[in-house]
Amino acid sequence: MTDTALRAEALGKRFGRRGRWALRECGFRLPAGRVCAVVGPNGAGKSTLLALAAGLLPPTEGRLTVLGTSPAQARPRVGFVAQDKPLHPQLTVAETLRMGADLNPGRWDAAVAERVVAGGALDPEARVRTLSGGQRTRVALALALGKRPELLLLDEPMADLDPLARHELMGTLMADAAQHGTTIAMSSHVVAELEDSCDHLLLVGDGRVRLAGDIDDLRSAHRRITAEADADLGPHTVVESRTTGRQLTALIRPAGPLAGDWRTSVPSLEELVLAHLRSPGAPGLATAEAAESTGTTEAVTEESAA
Amino acid sequence: MVEYRIDRHSGVATYVQIVQQTKQALRMGLLRPGDRLPTAREVVEATAINPNTVLKAYRELEREGLVEARRGLGTFVRRSLGAATADAALRAELETWTDRAREAGLDREDVAALFTAVLDQRFAVPDAHAAEPGTRVTADGTRRDTEHTQHTQHTQHTANSQGDPS
Amino acid sequence: MTVLTGPVDAVATVGRPRMTRWVVRLHRPALLAWAGLFAVVAGLLIALAGPWADAAAEGWRHYDACDFNRPCSYDQTAILRYKSWYNYTTYALNVLPFLVAAWAGAALTGRELESGTARLAWTQGTSPARWLAVRLAVPALALTAGTSLLFWLHHRAWAAGRGRIDTAKTWYDTGTFHANGPTTAALALAGLAAGALAGLLLRRALPALVLGAVFMSGIWGTTQQLLPHLWPAVTRTAAKQQQLDLGAGLGVDHGMLTSTGGHLPLPACDSEAACDAAYAKAAGFYDTYHPYSHYWPLQLTTSALLLAVTGLLALACFRVLRRQVS
Repeated sequence: MTDTALRAEALGKRFGRRGRWALRECGFRLPAGRVCAVVGPNGAGKSTLLALAAGLLPPTEGRLTVLGTSPAQARPRVGFVAQDKPLHPQLTVAETLRMGADLNPGRWDAAVAERVVAGGALDPEARVRTLSGGQRTRVALALALGKRPELLLLDEPMADLDPLARHELMGTLMADAAQHGTTIAMSSHVVAELEDSCDHLLLVGDGRVRLAGDIDDLRSAHRRITAEADADLGPHTVVESRTTGRQLTALIRPAGPLAGDWRTSVPSLEELVLAHLRSPGAPGLATAEAAESTGTTEAVTEESAA
Repeated sequence: MVEYRIDRHSGVATYVQIVQQTKQALRMGLLRPGDRLPTAREVVEATAINPNTVLKAYRELEREGLVEARRGLGTFVRRSLGAATADAALRAELETWTDRAREAGLDREDVAALFTAVLDQRFAVPDAHAAEPGTRVTADGTRRDTEHTQHTQHTQHTANSQGDPS
Repeated sequence: MTVLTGPVDAVATVGRPRMTRWVVRLHRPALLAWAGLFAVVAGLLIALAGPWADAAAEGWRHYDACDFNRPCSYDQTAILRYKSWYNYTTYALNVLPFLVAAWAGAALTGRELESGTARLAWTQGTSPARWLAVRLAVPALALTAGTSLLFWLHHRAWAAGRGRIDTAKTWYDTGTFHANGPTTAALALAGLAAGALAGLLLRRALPALVLGAVFMSGIWGTTQQLLPHLWPAVTRTAAKQQQLDLGAGLGVDHGMLTSTGGHLPLPACDSEAACDAAYAKAAGFYDTYHPYSHYWPLQLTTSALLLAVTGLLALACFRVLRRQVS
């Protein structure tokens, strides 16, 4: 047993021989038992990262370790729900779950799968092709949870759900995490959607990992400051700064004592994420427990402190 | 049994909300010594919040000696909160003080601001967002000293109480 | 409160995923279509081998006995019935490999990769290799069983007309040759592997349908080219004045013999003088061909070659899949 669910070392993925790099030089660690938000704009590489972790794509370079072994070897212990929730349209809901049971002998938990499906008042004899987007999500999640994964990878799981179903299914996921210690990594481009449920963040931007770590730790490592326009931000790493009239507002990573006359506050998760996405040049940060790699993410570099 | 209601927009950290609501239930007698708190699973299933948040709140309550975790059984209330007699005396004093403030020409908002300011000054409330700033977070793999960020704490709380939750 | 515990202990009880029944379930329409086609063709072939061949033979017997100076009656309907249905069933067996290739490309692999259900299977306890293996094995079994019975029935239907029905096809007629023997089964299996490969390469149903059929055309064409050379042929010669009638069997080559025994192709000439000059060199003629006794050797070598190709295609399928999935 390992305390690390996912570990990426200089991971890169390019589609085609001359294609664009979907991911490049990604290094991070996701400790086991965490609920990780994989956040980033559309096309940032979130789906690629999750597919790599699920052993569905071979990396072009670097290495990815899943539950202490290779992604392919870990596959039986990993649950995955792809963004478009693929299911066989010609099967009924009940048949789909029976297939899950047949494909996962020794692991399948029929009660869990049926509970997830039952929450949606789904007719077990309904064909998958007749289901709504939200109902399909429910069946896909039932398949993934039914196999009792140690690591659950969910790509935009809540996109098709109404607020009620979203809350209920998120509750189901959290209950699974609480009961079995399942590590969950779920992607979304809506930060607010994940804020309460996740305790770990992986911010992906433009194919690179910008922030990795415990959400509270990452927030405490930053300060939102308001100061005089000519304030010297000195040794601190400036993620983003804006001057309006006589006032300077900035998001910084303190590297020493802060001037006493600044107004400071700890940024919210959303502020943190948005500031980093607005400033692609700002250096990345991985907290100690989430750092793995060589090079990509550094806390303090002077270059962008201008 | 207590049921937690999480308000995402209150600006108060989720685990603090659980701590506060538990204490509220203890004060009102809804939870009594020997009662079992809901399991983390039960809480997160109903609220969709992170299980570690619940555990953090329960650890905080345990640290304050209000509850105790019994391995394999759950988390149980150890003692109740708020002595009724002391409460009554304090309330009478507060009522007198409020009357005086009103006579002095302060309106409702003035009184509330004054009260909150004193409250913030006298009670080291837990940070509404996160644990000790600066700790654990490193980039170069070493633990960073917390001292240099400590002095920002106060400013931050003041900012929050002025209705500027982040 | 230690709710965050280790992994589930159920991991230890390992069983094999039961994939086969789901491949059958998912491709039930294709299986039913195959069963239907099989039943119809088998029924027709049984009728052809029995009553229809007898009736047609009787018709021909009457026809051949006719003295055309007098009105003559013979059962033309029976003659045409045998001929038409024989052609239709032969045609069906020859088209089958192309249908299999198109289906395998579109439905078996292409669509599953396009819609993502393949990925669903791979994250549901089935390794990609096993996923592919079952998808190839189940239809291969159904095809082998079905085509084996059909080519045997076809051979019976053909043999029933041989020597009795004047318009019966020769053993080396291209359509009849394949429909009569195990090459039908081998071609169908090659079509299955070729289609599956097309689907894996293109990962989309419709283009894979086309590519599968194109692959099959290539295999079929190459087979036709190689077939006569897969067994040593027999050569007959004739002196210049004699007629050498071609068509004693499956032709390989024919032409002029030089005085030294060398082989020359028949020259093209358009006037008597030119032809006389061109044929002046000829000491005789030769004809290289396969007699009927080569029927089984040719069937078996061709089938073996096709099975080897099938094996290589299947191997390619696994390699392509391996490259695409980690």
